[in-house]
Amino acid sequence: MSLLAVENLGKEFGGLRALDDLSVSVDRGELVGVMGPNGAGKSTFFNCVSGVVTPDEGRVLLDDADVTGDSPEALARAGMVRTFQHTRELETMTVRDNVRLAAPGQPGERTLPALLRTGSMRDREREVRERADELVEAFELDHLADEYSGSLSGGQRKLLELARVLMLDPDLLLLDEPFAGVNPTLTREIAERIRALNDDGMTVVVIEHELETLTELVDRLVVLQQGSLLVEGDPETVLSDERVIEAYLGE
Amino acid sequence: MGLLQNVIFGLVTGSYIAVAAIGFTLVYGIVNMINFAYGEYLTVGAFVGLLTAGTLPVPLPVAVLVAMVGGGVASLVLARLFFTPINHTGPVPMLLTSIGLGIALRNLIRLVAGRNARYFDTETATFRLTGVPDVSVGPFDLLGDFFVTSEHLVVVGCAVGVFLALHGLLTRTDVGIAMRAMGDDEDLARVRGVDTQRIRDSVWVLAGVLAGLAGVLVAIQTNVSAGTGYSHILQILAAAILGGAGSPYGAIAGSYIIGLVLSLSTAFLPGGMAELSSAMAFLILVVVLLVKPSGLAAREVREA
Amino acid sequence: MSVADRLPLGDAAGNGALLLGAVCVLLAAVFALTPLVVSLPGSLYVFFEVAILFAVYGVLVLGLDLQYGHTGLVNFGHVAFFAVGAYAVAMLSARDSFAGVSLGLPWPVALAGGVVVAALLGAAVGATSVRLRDDFLAVATLATAEIVHSLFVSFEGVFGGNVGIGSVPQPVSDLAGDADTAMLATLLLFGGVTLFTLAAVTRLTEAPYGRVLRAIRADELVTRSVGKSVLTYKMQSFVYGAALAGLAGGLFALYTGAVAPGYFTIQVTVTVWIGMLLGGAANHRGVLAGLAVIMGLRLLSRFALGVMPLSADAFASVRLVVVGLILVAVIRYRPAGLWGDAEELGVDT
Repeated sequence: MSLLAVENLGKEFGGLRALDDLSVSVDRGELVGVMGPNGAGKSTFFNCVSGVVTPDEGRVLLDDADVTGDSPEALARAGMVRTFQHTRELETMTVRDNVRLAAPGQPGERTLPALLRTGSMRDREREVRERADELVEAFELDHLADEYSGSLSGGQRKLLELARVLMLDPDLLLLDEPFAGVNPTLTREIAERIRALNDDGMTVVVIEHELETLTELVDRLVVLQQGSLLVEGDPETVLSDERVIEAYLGE
Repeated sequence: MGLLQNVIFGLVTGSYIAVAAIGFTLVYGIVNMINFAYGEYLTVGAFVGLLTAGTLPVPLPVAVLVAMVGGGVASLVLARLFFTPINHTGPVPMLLTSIGLGIALRNLIRLVAGRNARYFDTETATFRLTGVPDVSVGPFDLLGDFFVTSEHLVVVGCAVGVFLALHGLLTRTDVGIAMRAMGDDEDLARVRGVDTQRIRDSVWVLAGVLAGLAGVLVAIQTNVSAGTGYSHILQILAAAILGGAGSPYGAIAGSYIIGLVLSLSTAFLPGGMAELSSAMAFLILVVVLLVKPSGLAAREVREA
Repeated sequence: MSVADRLPLGDAAGNGALLLGAVCVLLAAVFALTPLVVSLPGSLYVFFEVAILFAVYGVLVLGLDLQYGHTGLVNFGHVAFFAVGAYAVAMLSARDSFAGVSLGLPWPVALAGGVVVAALLGAAVGATSVRLRDDFLAVATLATAEIVHSLFVSFEGVFGGNVGIGSVPQPVSDLAGDADTAMLATLLLFGGVTLFTLAAVTRLTEAPYGRVLRAIRADELVTRSVGKSVLTYKMQSFVYGAALAGLAGGLFALYTGAVAPGYFTIQVTVTVWIGMLLGGAANHRGVLAGLAVIMGLRLLSRFALGVMPLSADAFASVRLVVVGLILVAVIRYRPAGLWGDAEELGVDT
């Protein structure tokens, strides 16, 4: 059964067709890679799926429910969480607060419990802080936990973003170029973490430019070209496909 | 008074707002800031003009030129002192700085020039057209007798001259073409070898020159006091946003709409509610921001 | 740091303010309700006047700090909510005002009404404007304030025009009896209200609630993508700030016994903004301190006026030149204010 299904998605920007009748589905527990040359529509695909932009045509189904045009916040609460190609930290917040923020179900995020300092808020906050500290530690950011995230390096930002989305314990994780601008050692580390998350049952979709890491990582590859599906299948088959070779050489 | 007469008043008001709004919107488009002190530039220009006309034995057009030069110099100096150093900090600090600068300038002018309103001592010729049929619809006369004064003609004529000169500048000169390129995409313009700081300086000078002229036109048409600029800034802002912030042609259209709304609402609102006519301009401003924030031209001002 | 670092969520600061506020209100009650009478030296009057105004503006600046300091909403029409609160309270509670509407309701009802009306205006402005980009939100709110101001001036039959609304009850004065005791009781009561407000906003912003607000200020899209309803929070923040301004306006009306458009000019907005920026946005006690500095300057200038060879008019101009330049200088040289955190505010120093 597919966890995410995208049917006949279309999106136009100022006369430019970014997505054209794209249909892709991701099964529960899969680890899928999305690749394609620049301008193939990878990021628009993510943006449409995660509610950042509304598609002009087509449907997005999450767990068989039509979520087309739902807001990013609603989708995040429904279990689909994404990262961004250009990492977006809350630079004016500490690393710790960046991670804590993402915690779901905190009654203290509502006015009255916050004013009244209810027990449920305190209890939840204790759990949130514990979990956030675990994640910060797991991603080896603990020595930076009280730094403002504006002072982190590019690679550290990628790690922080991962830690932050994991706070939500998503069913479906969409990662937009998690290895971009990251050194080889860290790339391997991040790839291992993604693998481990998937082994624990999380469904993951990764957009990546970096072919080598991606093909080693994923179960299945989806190749986009000019907003449409070019080829999909297991990495080996896809990479030997002539259309893919042509698309990449043509770039 | 018929509708036609009020339309004439509206066109006159729209004309001096337009001259100012062009400068305001160019600064917005190229320096990327809302300059709340801009109204004070009008006041400065008007007082420079008045001072020149009052102390030197020069004809009015020369005083106007001096006011324009004064406005340009003041604008550049103020930009260099207050805005250029914080160019990198983003729109909000720039806006707040301009509010502070506006308060300081306004009160400095009040301190130096006093509270009285001043006007140019010019001879007015009035051209009346009588015997025009009223063509009434309900209580309103669509036509009716009307008049045009020489001041009206000067204001509108100057504005039209400015529009033509501006069009020539933006389409025919290197500086103007670079300004448009920078307004569209600053990074791209820089890559193409545009000296962005020089263009910013040119825009500041141009905006100051236009503000100086607009100030004098206000003084010719009505009068000026220390508060004149401030009382016009929201109208200028409304015109610029209505026209699509950053678009000089849009600002011209927006200005005439604002001018007409001001004069028609003054005419048709009950007496004692004159204050509401300026509120009308702000209301338009708010409505435009809510309904179509990009104004007549397309420029997005909402969050992505 | 341990897991429970900073749990209990800044309670100390909030509770301190709460306790001190309660003490102030109790003392105010003692002076107002008992036959106890104080007499103040005449030279202190001016201090009391400015201090009472500081307490009122303190509520204003705390609301603004919730909006701008924490949520990043550039509200440059704060005076509108202050004015609307004041007018609503005045019109609801006044008995036989010389001009405008006066309904003669009991003042507590009127005060609640004032807060509600200001909150409703906040909801209306917020619903339409909080989506705007920062600088355009500033313009939209400022224009709203100008519209509100001209409505008060124009509709004489309702708002009393330039005269405003008079004959507003002054409950503290009525209870205290004599002017000196009333002044002291008013200061204590208003100071208490300001401290309660401080406690409330501190609790809000130190709680996970404040974390969401600060995240919105930093990056709305990220905040949405981790499941927070950004628009709801922006609305709430805007409405709470407006309601606090309405409360401040109501207190002001019940203290002065009259409201008129002249009390509610853009100067009020400018004063609280400068106070906030000077103190350091997002630091509640900082913004109060910043406001104290700016209002202290006003106090100082009253004394200076006596010794300067300037007319009152010229002197007012000089003071405003200085105020404007302070705003410019703070943004340029201390963008995080005196007590703000530059890293938290994301500014260079």
